[in-house]
Amino acid sequence: MRPFLLSRDTFHILVALADRDRHGYSIMQEVTERTAGEIRLSPSTLYSAIKRLLEQGLIEELEERPDPEHDDERRRYYRLTKTGRRAATEEARHLEKLLSDARASGLVRKRA
Amino acid sequence: MFRLHTSQAGILRLYQPFLWLYPAEFRDEYGRELCLSFVDRWREERSITGLLLVWLQAILGIFYQAPREHYHMIIHDIRYALRILRKDLSVTAAAILILALGIGSTTLVFSLANGLLLRPLPYPQPERIIAVTESSPKDPNETTQISFPNYFDIRARTRLLDDIGVYASAQWPIRGEGTAERVSGASVSDGVFRVLGLDPLLGRTISREDDVPNGPKVVVISEELWQRRYGRDPRILGRSIQIDDARSTIIGVMPAGFHFPDRADFWLPLQMDPTKAARTDYFLHAIARLKPGVSIQQATGELESILEQIHRENPGVNNNWQAHAIPIRDFVAGSYRKAVITLLVAVALLLLIACANVCNLLLIKASARVREIAVRTALGATRRRLLRQLITESLLLGLAGGALGVVLAYAGIPALLSLIPVNLPLWMNFSPDSRVLGFGVAVSLLTTLGFGIIPAFGSFHADLTDSLKEGGRGGNSGARSKFMRHGLVIGEVALSVILLAGAGLMIRSFLALRMQDLGFHPENVLSTSLDWPESRYHDGPPARALLARLTQEVSSLPGVISTSFSSGIPLNDGWGRIFSIENHPVDLKDMTFINHIVVTPNYFHTLAIPLLQGRDFTESDFDTPQIVIVSQAFAKKNWPNESPLGKRLRFGPPKNNEPWHTVVGVVADSKHGAYKGEDRPSVYLPYSSDITPNVLLIRTSGDALQLHQALRSRIVAIDSDIVVSRVLSLEQIIARVSWQDRFLTVLFSAFAALALLLAAVGLYATISYTVSLSTHEIGIRMALGASVSRVRAMILREGMTLALAGLCIGIVVAFALARLLKTQLYQISPNDPATYIAVPIVLILVAGLAAFLPTRHATRVDPVVALRHE
Repeated sequence: MRPFLLSRDTFHILVALADRDRHGYSIMQEVTERTAGEIRLSPSTLYSAIKRLLEQGLIEELEERPDPEHDDERRRYYRLTKTGRRAATEEARHLEKLLSDARASGLVRKRA
Repeated sequence: MFRLHTSQAGILRLYQPFLWLYPAEFRDEYGRELCLSFVDRWREERSITGLLLVWLQAILGIFYQAPREHYHMIIHDIRYALRILRKDLSVTAAAILILALGIGSTTLVFSLANGLLLRPLPYPQPERIIAVTESSPKDPNETTQISFPNYFDIRARTRLLDDIGVYASAQWPIRGEGTAERVSGASVSDGVFRVLGLDPLLGRTISREDDVPNGPKVVVISEELWQRRYGRDPRILGRSIQIDDARSTIIGVMPAGFHFPDRADFWLPLQMDPTKAARTDYFLHAIARLKPGVSIQQATGELESILEQIHRENPGVNNNWQAHAIPIRDFVAGSYRKAVITLLVAVALLLLIACANVCNLLLIKASARVREIAVRTALGATRRRLLRQLITESLLLGLAGGALGVVLAYAGIPALLSLIPVNLPLWMNFSPDSRVLGFGVAVSLLTTLGFGIIPAFGSFHADLTDSLKEGGRGGNSGARSKFMRHGLVIGEVALSVILLAGAGLMIRSFLALRMQDLGFHPENVLSTSLDWPESRYHDGPPARALLARLTQEVSSLPGVISTSFSSGIPLNDGWGRIFSIENHPVDLKDMTFINHIVVTPNYFHTLAIPLLQGRDFTESDFDTPQIVIVSQAFAKKNWPNESPLGKRLRFGPPKNNEPWHTVVGVVADSKHGAYKGEDRPSVYLPYSSDITPNVLLIRTSGDALQLHQALRSRIVAIDSDIVVSRVLSLEQIIARVSWQDRFLTVLFSAFAALALLLAAVGLYATISYTVSLSTHEIGIRMALGASVSRVRAMILREGMTLALAGLCIGIVVAFALARLLKTQLYQISPNDPATYIAVPIVLILVAGLAAFLPTRHATRVDPVVALRHE
């Protein structure tokens, strides 16, 4: 059923990489922005997670430089792999299902 | 490096050191990124609180993540190592087994050393307890007990000892409630319990008021005796117990496990009169407790000066004896130290062989893995990473071998103890404890270093491109690896030769000991100690009548050839006395000891000691006991050129004026006091009203031990209060007095056999590997017409060259080291020619076999297949 069990931080990193390839700091920024400052990844947490994601093949490191507009030549850039995208999508669907279950049971109020 | 503002560079300098907490691989890979992201976060913040938060989060993050990274890496390494080890199961199993044997043997011997030399004695601050001994200036290493008056004076004058106590241990019959039995006990002065520093479980210990001449008849018993004879009766205090003939009131029970000395179960007050005891009667053991901070040297110094004062004040008894302070541990276990250290050295050699053996296996395996390592290096694995991987593999092997070894050692302890036929003092506890376990773990780790480092580093020396080019053969037959493997085999053989030589000497020595001429025939002789109530059978006619009755009853038992009584069990109980010869006045200082043996008629016949001159004792000598029979050595030494018959001698210091004894006979020399080493000459006295000997000796026509039950019931039928104990054949007694030699010989031989086996396995593995590498060459040679025997000879030559090199080195080193065994050897020189002839023969035979087996495999090679091997 669920091919991957993603931790909260891992899921956020995958989501941050969903729209475009990013370097580490850009991921940190994106996660902070997306969660309105609620989650601030520390560099150590980020890179331990990245190492694990690379090993699992959920993300990959880019060899060519990305779009020059966003390029920072000192950085390493990461991209979601197909497996990674699938894992993140599965996770999102799963969360969605959980949420709709919660709504159906009246635990959470439906959005107006 | 990237450019930064000065302030950022500063903050980075603070941040970077924390990155050292990460594994090197992680740091190399992500260190730069971590720094960049950290600086970016830092730049973003404006407020002081924000900056502090960034800093805190970064550092806490590292503290949280770095150990996890280490953990992941280790788990990864272990998984990979397990995969590799599983792939080559036979090598892995062999390595673990070899290591287990090495580590297990080492741990086993260590548990012996632990029990004898390391485990603290069960008394508070045992390091402050010493034994006080005296020794003759003629033989300062032969320390003996001290005399009662000397103890009395030392106690009065010492400033450096908290307390001193003396004791004499013996076995006494306990009668009365329950069955009569012979129990170990001790007569102690009041100081003994204070020196040992343990409080009684119930009641009190012996006080100074108890320890006076004609003092109260009291006794302190052990918890075990309380349990055994009284079922832990809570009203035990005040009850009386019959020890030998006298009843004593129980005043205290010592806590469980307290059995000083050795296995004592009760303690009576010594109650000696210092004015009546002789200063030259050294029959009391002394222990003392040093005042805090006092050293052994200071105590010895004080004891020496007190003894000098005593000698000055008592010129008549000045024999120049010296006093010594010896740590209690050395006193009770000192005699085992040399043997234990010898075994530790032997087992360390075995462990080295095991290391070399596994190292060799891994080297062979590493040669096969050169390609794997080359590929991984080419794919970017760092040297550090690979090294870590290889060390993890070794560590897993080491720990598995260690775990199995410790299990083997634990299981081996009962087997080891079964080699000990005597009851050891109860403080000797060989059960494994945390120290033994810690030792096992430490040895496993050390062993891992020993066998793992060389192959690990060796792997990097292989030329990368070469090994990739070598293609399908995947092997490195490089000179360096071969050199190392051969070196290891030579080392193994050399070490095993050392152990073999040691074992050879031990075996020869043990055989010499067991085949020595004792001067009597121990076969089919039973000995037993009898304790009769002295009130009923006191020395003189009543005891004489009892002995006559016993002799008559025992002689009528089937198979009994001859019986007699003696004052001591041969080879076990020696009573040494000083003596002087009539018309040969000798200074007290120069007097020597003889074995003083009181016997009934028939003693020499029972033990088969030939009478050489004069006559044997007869029953009528009971009434005129001032005669003696002397041993041949005694006669020769004291009357070298004349007949000893009719000459006179007397015992004790001259000033005692003991009666003269006339020599009526001379018997052949026989060992009585000491089984191993020089024995004192013996002087035999007839039993009389003065002394009634209580050791019964019986010569039988068949197995003496079969008499045991009949003997016991016959004696109990005479008087059920006679305690029959120590029923042993003289052969059992010999096994008991020589157990240390047997123990050492058995262990040494086992280690040597194991060493030889391991060396043979090492040789076999190396030659087999060489053969497998040379399949191609062998194929060519055979295709070109070389005969099978020629190919075999070629391979055998390589094996035997290694074995002979090891043999030469081993023999030279063994020859040099054998001197260290000298004190353990009996009548065998450390350069014993027979040993040095036998060892090379054994080694060459075993090595020949180990080198020959692979040749059979080689010559079965089909040249066509071998050539295709390329």
